[in-house]
Amino acid sequence: MRANVPADGDAPSRPLHEEDRHTSFLMYRRFFYLKVATAAVVVAIILYLVDVPLGEPYGGTWAGYVLGTVGALLILWLLWFGYRKRSYRSNQGKLEAWLSAHVYLGIALLFIATLHTGFHFGWNIHTAAYVLMVLVIFSGFFGIYCYVHYPRLITDNRGGITMPQILGRIAVVNDELRAVAMTVDDATARLVTAATERTEIGGSKLQQISGRYPNCATTRALHGLDEVAAHVTPERQAAYRQVRVLLDEKAQLLARARHDISYKGMMDVWLYFHVPLSFALLATLFAHVLSVFFYW
Amino acid sequence: MQVEVTFLTRRGADAVMRKSQTVTAEAIRFGRGTDNEVQFPDIRVALRAAVLAPREAGLVIERAGDEMLRVNGEGVASATVHPGDKINIGPYEVVIVEAPAGFDAALTVELAQPLGDALERLLSQSHIGLGSAGWTKRSLAWTLFSLCVLFALIVPLAVYPFGTVVHSSRSVPNFASIDLVNMSWNAGSIGNPHRFFAQNCATCHRAAFSSVPDSACLSCHSDVGNHVQASADLGPSGPKLQSMRCAQCHEEHRGVHSLVIQAQALCVDCHEQLNETAPKAGTADVTGFPAGHPQFRATLVVDAAKPTFTRQALGTKPPPEDHSGLVFSHEAHLIKTGLPTPNGHKVMVCADCHIPEPSGQGFLPITFEGQCHSCHDLKFDADLPWREVPHGDAAAVKIAVDDFYAHIALQGGVQDAAAPAFVRRPVGSPEQPTEAESKDALAWAAGRAANAMAIIWDDKRGCAYCHVTEHANGNFTVAPVLMRARFLPEARFDHSKHAAQQCTDCHDAPHSEKSSDVMIPGIESCIACHGSERADLKTQSTCTSCHLFHRQEFGPMKTANAGQ
Repeated sequence: MRANVPADGDAPSRPLHEEDRHTSFLMYRRFFYLKVATAAVVVAIILYLVDVPLGEPYGGTWAGYVLGTVGALLILWLLWFGYRKRSYRSNQGKLEAWLSAHVYLGIALLFIATLHTGFHFGWNIHTAAYVLMVLVIFSGFFGIYCYVHYPRLITDNRGGITMPQILGRIAVVNDELRAVAMTVDDATARLVTAATERTEIGGSKLQQISGRYPNCATTRALHGLDEVAAHVTPERQAAYRQVRVLLDEKAQLLARARHDISYKGMMDVWLYFHVPLSFALLATLFAHVLSVFFYW
Repeated sequence: MQVEVTFLTRRGADAVMRKSQTVTAEAIRFGRGTDNEVQFPDIRVALRAAVLAPREAGLVIERAGDEMLRVNGEGVASATVHPGDKINIGPYEVVIVEAPAGFDAALTVELAQPLGDALERLLSQSHIGLGSAGWTKRSLAWTLFSLCVLFALIVPLAVYPFGTVVHSSRSVPNFASIDLVNMSWNAGSIGNPHRFFAQNCATCHRAAFSSVPDSACLSCHSDVGNHVQASADLGPSGPKLQSMRCAQCHEEHRGVHSLVIQAQALCVDCHEQLNETAPKAGTADVTGFPAGHPQFRATLVVDAAKPTFTRQALGTKPPPEDHSGLVFSHEAHLIKTGLPTPNGHKVMVCADCHIPEPSGQGFLPITFEGQCHSCHDLKFDADLPWREVPHGDAAAVKIAVDDFYAHIALQGGVQDAAAPAFVRRPVGSPEQPTEAESKDALAWAAGRAANAMAIIWDDKRGCAYCHVTEHANGNFTVAPVLMRARFLPEARFDHSKHAAQQCTDCHDAPHSEKSSDVMIPGIESCIACHGSERADLKTQSTCTSCHLFHRQEFGPMKTANAGQ
């Protein structure tokens, strides 16, 4: 990040670091890559309309080969984004720029590849590659939705603290519970032990995303406290109250942590389609191109 | 009893901290509650877990709560314990040791299962992140990638060498391989005639990474006709035509019905400048249809004798003429009110003479015997109507007539009063003629023959009725007749496809008085209904609608070893 030091006497209306202010990856550089992608699609459509082949349009006409080559190169470049994303030390373009370009050119690819097919489909690897590409792009649409929708929810849910802080607080509450529950009856003690020793945070993919933990020991402990509440002797009331308060606090912390996990899970789960399918596409694309040259 | 209780705390592997205290009580109670003699401050222990009391048998440990005790690893409700025995109460381990002097019993207490760091325990139980359990993105990606490489790449490649080349004379081998795998690389539907070997890609694709060679096509289609005559001089267009591959015009994998590219651009590519690049070919430039297609040029007979032909555009003024050598008027035959014929009054129609050939495309050739003889007889003597002169051989006519009269003179029985007596004698009379009688009979025969020949040769009622004749210096000749069956031999018009129309829609026969009239319609007649290849409101027509590329009459286009 460049530090722009304002000159003396400058009007204070501009923020200090104009270029570094966060913009959504969709609006990056005032929709620069959207404009690039739109131009590419328009050129592709014009090319498709201008070329009148001897037979019908398909991947093997002059325009079909141009669009196919462009599409294949686009696919390789789009795949490269996964590598660039993890090259933390790379200075070849900002990652923000890469993401914006990836999204818009990925959408452009949908049009370019569809024109390349000439709208001819069949039960073969060529259409299989196209279908895989469409699935990748549509899973990308869902990814865009997640990236636009969930960060706000995560921020609001966390309320200014981080996940490690939440977990730290839960651990501390666990310790406090164990101390405070020293004088409760055995049944309650067992519930509290279970609550402190079996804290489910995360779990299977489904559990993480759904945020539903039906076997939550803390919840069960709270219910158990309700049941014995009537039978608590006066001298133990204080202890039970304290236990209840701590259990409530822990339940809230757990809810926060689990929501956070759920939101982050949603922001990750679409990649379980997007990435594996794009590698399937890579293999099928290679077979598609090879078969064209093989059966030239 | 007095019991020494020693609390052990381990520090590291070797160091042990010991803290002893003396407990005096009737029984030693263990538990979480503060009223126990030995308090275990751990929530995992019941308020009152166990009681150690002296009995007759010795020291006995009994459980006080719901949970079983573990004594030396065994779960018991109570047990007699001796020094050396280990008792587990919750996470604590109590070991009975030898009582020192002054004590009734001694035991050590150790927290055998400390809880450890709470956060550490919490984190070890947490599975945060979708990749922490089950499939990861990487494992899924590798799996799908490998599956695709296997089924989309490796298997089709592996199957390829096992395809065989199918020849038309051999039966197709039946493959057990899976259709889907075999056809997974198929880029488009195979044309209908080739579907029976669609599974065997190698039938056409003879070598990897190279185009389908002509030899593959020629292995079944070995004598497909050439487009031009072998001797034609096409200039630079000649090598261009020769170097074309079958597959350039015949595209496979473009659907079940199409193998031939019908687009006119394919033909126009060469034909739009053929007049400039190959003037000797005599082909006019064509840039399209209907706009850009020149007027039809009919091939007409100039001189039926030599014979010589010419190609002339239709619709010119003066109109083109076809000199077939025949004298014939369509108009005279197509009189609306009918004609008197030997078989009665008849209104003639086109179909009376023009018989479609079996395919329906054209018509059978016009012959005298087939079309004319039924009305036009070749009799030459009104008194003797049962003889006709032969048709088609001018020399034979005179011979036939001479022979005829000589025969009847010899035979006798002639009714003519002016004939000599010998000729008039009854048939079968045995008289021999005298020399004078012979001369007379000969002269009479010659005279009658001459009369007949005069009509046959010199009168309009004779050959000249239909033919162009010449009688000079004692030679009588009939001009050869050459009737063209096809006036547009470079095109292919199918009459059967136009059967719904009337003949006179295109051929103005009822108004044609001369046989030199060319009744073939020009292009304006066709474009009334036929439009361009993408026409909406006219019949879509392209070059191949009327023209053939491969002409069998020009011999094979390629030989069997072409295109290797």
